[in-house]
Amino acid sequence: MAIKINDVSFSYLKKTPNEVKALDHVSFEIPKGKITSIIGHTGSGKSTLIQMLNGLLLPDSGFLEIDDFKVTSEKRKNKRIKDLRKHVSIVFQFPEYQLFEETVEKDVAFGLKNYGLKENESIEKAHLALKEVGLDKSFYKRSPFELSGGEKRRVAIAGILAIDPEILILDEPTAGLDPKGSELILNLIKELNRNGKTIILVTHDMNIVLNHSDYVIVLNDSTLSFKGTPSELFTRDVSNYSIEIPELFKFALLLKEHQLNIDIEKIKNVDDLINQLKEIK
Amino acid sequence: MNNLTFGRYSPFNTCVHRLDPRNKIFMMLLLMVSIFLKVDSWSTTLILTGFIFLFLVIVMIISKIRFLDLFKSLSTMWFLIIILMVIYVFIPNPSYNPNHIAFYIGTYGVNYDAFYQSGYIIFRLILMVMITMILTSTTSPMDLTYALEWYMTPLKLVKFPAHIVAMTLSIALRFIPTLLDETQRIMKAQASRGVDFNRGGLFKRVGAIISLIIPLFVSAISRSEELSNAMEARGYDPYAKRSRYRVLKFHLSDLFAFIIVGAIFAGFLTLRIYDGYIIKIDFIYWIFGAKPLF
Ligand SMILES: Nc1ncnc2c1ncn2[C@@H]1O[C@H](COP(=O)(O)OP(=O)(O)OP(=O)(O)O)[C@@H](O)[C@H]1O
Ligand SMILES: [Mg+2]
Repeated sequence: MAIKINDVSFSYLKKTPNEVKALDHVSFEIPKGKITSIIGHTGSGKSTLIQMLNGLLLPDSGFLEIDDFKVTSEKRKNKRIKDLRKHVSIVFQFPEYQLFEETVEKDVAFGLKNYGLKENESIEKAHLALKEVGLDKSFYKRSPFELSGGEKRRVAIAGILAIDPEILILDEPTAGLDPKGSELILNLIKELNRNGKTIILVTHDMNIVLNHSDYVIVLNDSTLSFKGTPSELFTRDVSNYSIEIPELFKFALLLKEHQLNIDIEKIKNVDDLINQLKEIK
Repeated sequence: MNNLTFGRYSPFNTCVHRLDPRNKIFMMLLLMVSIFLKVDSWSTTLILTGFIFLFLVIVMIISKIRFLDLFKSLSTMWFLIIILMVIYVFIPNPSYNPNHIAFYIGTYGVNYDAFYQSGYIIFRLILMVMITMILTSTTSPMDLTYALEWYMTPLKLVKFPAHIVAMTLSIALRFIPTLLDETQRIMKAQASRGVDFNRGGLFKRVGAIISLIIPLFVSAISRSEELSNAMEARGYDPYAKRSRYRVLKFHLSDLFAFIIVGAIFAGFLTLRIYDGYIIKIDFIYWIFGAKPLF
């Protein structure tokens, strides 16, 4: 079982003068059980692509295979779409704008009820999800509208986590959060991945790519231009991808150039580099 | 989920798009009035409205509006259509000809006239949708407000705040596409939480709509706050005299279009005035020399 994107193309506003080609014959695979980052300049088609993974958008041509689901251009053939959405869930950019219930716990339970769970069962699961994102009992009965931005974001993420999808997609989950809030969410993502979830991250932050992902996909002008590991990406010439190599990685490369014995592939954060340097001594 | 595009401005560059928006608004009004001018005979009325229908179809083809969009927007009205049918068919109306009974349900005779009446109303509704669709798909929201402001200029004499009203309108219009995008965004997000906007019983559907409306309101309010702050920060003064980037012009093609629509309107008006007073207008009778079917 895997996630396969097969020669997928998509345009917005088809047959109008404003037609935009968002994806142009894109093919690649996403490994299961790993954290994969999808990066690329703004407007490169990232959000478009992830919406196809749970059938919110259908490709104009080509198809996607997600485990035993298939998303094709023909509407009729995509019958199990609701099951697919339970299997693959998306946390959209700024998900806090989709909260609407009177209380936090009700909002988190909302998705569960849609998938047929009973009221009390869904509230119970909602509490578990809230705990996962680090929100305690005192939040249960509060209105989601009176929370801070970061707390709202966590409630929204809990709403998706509660559904317990096998594949979790997050579109710029740390955009607009302070360092601490970002850290919280990134740790949560790591934890989820450790428990077996496949994670797909859309991000502009190269440090997240380096530090948190196993695999990276680069989209450029609606086409695929790279797939591989972060260290493979950053040791390449990335000048036409509009990507900035993380300072830490540049530094490690520089050390290596000066004949220090550094295993570039294992550098994910400062601690990794420090540990390797210690061993060299 | 994608039928929210109805009537959205689509920036082609056809001759209909290039017409003066003031002219377009006026022609739209003339056509709408024409639709409501009804003559006594059903057959003739239907022929006349059919004529307008054909005219609108041609205009739609010229201005590159897709018929699919029209069908999509009409398909959301089927409920209204059924209700109209039921009301007309089952509520007795003394003006129906008692000899026109189609069939009986129990002892209640369903009158043919009821079908004509409701069919005619639905037909007019469709024509209205077509007319507004042509106007809004071929005219940018900005041009529409310029035109409306122009029509309100005489009111300035009586201290009517024409500019403020026009600005309010233009902001409202400007926000329609944004809100539609926002609606789609929220629908997708809620669909990720298992909301199905297309299926489900009444209760489920109401729940789905609530999950859409509340976030939409929240975001609309925060957007309007941002906008008013931004306008204030840039020194917007509603009473200042302002200049215009684009000046509206009445071209020869406008005159041409106006003559066509004006002729249709004049024709309808004449028929309406003549009907009943001077002669009874019944095309079917004139042409075939036969008594009309209805
Ligand atoms: N609803 C829409 N209607 C029309 N065009 C759209 C729509 N959504 C996206 N596009 C266009 O499609 C292209 C790809 O958009 P997409 O949202 O996939 O980019 P992205 O990679 O997610 O960018 P960002 O990093 O800014 O989020 C862009 O050119 C965008 O303008
Ligand atoms: Mg995006």
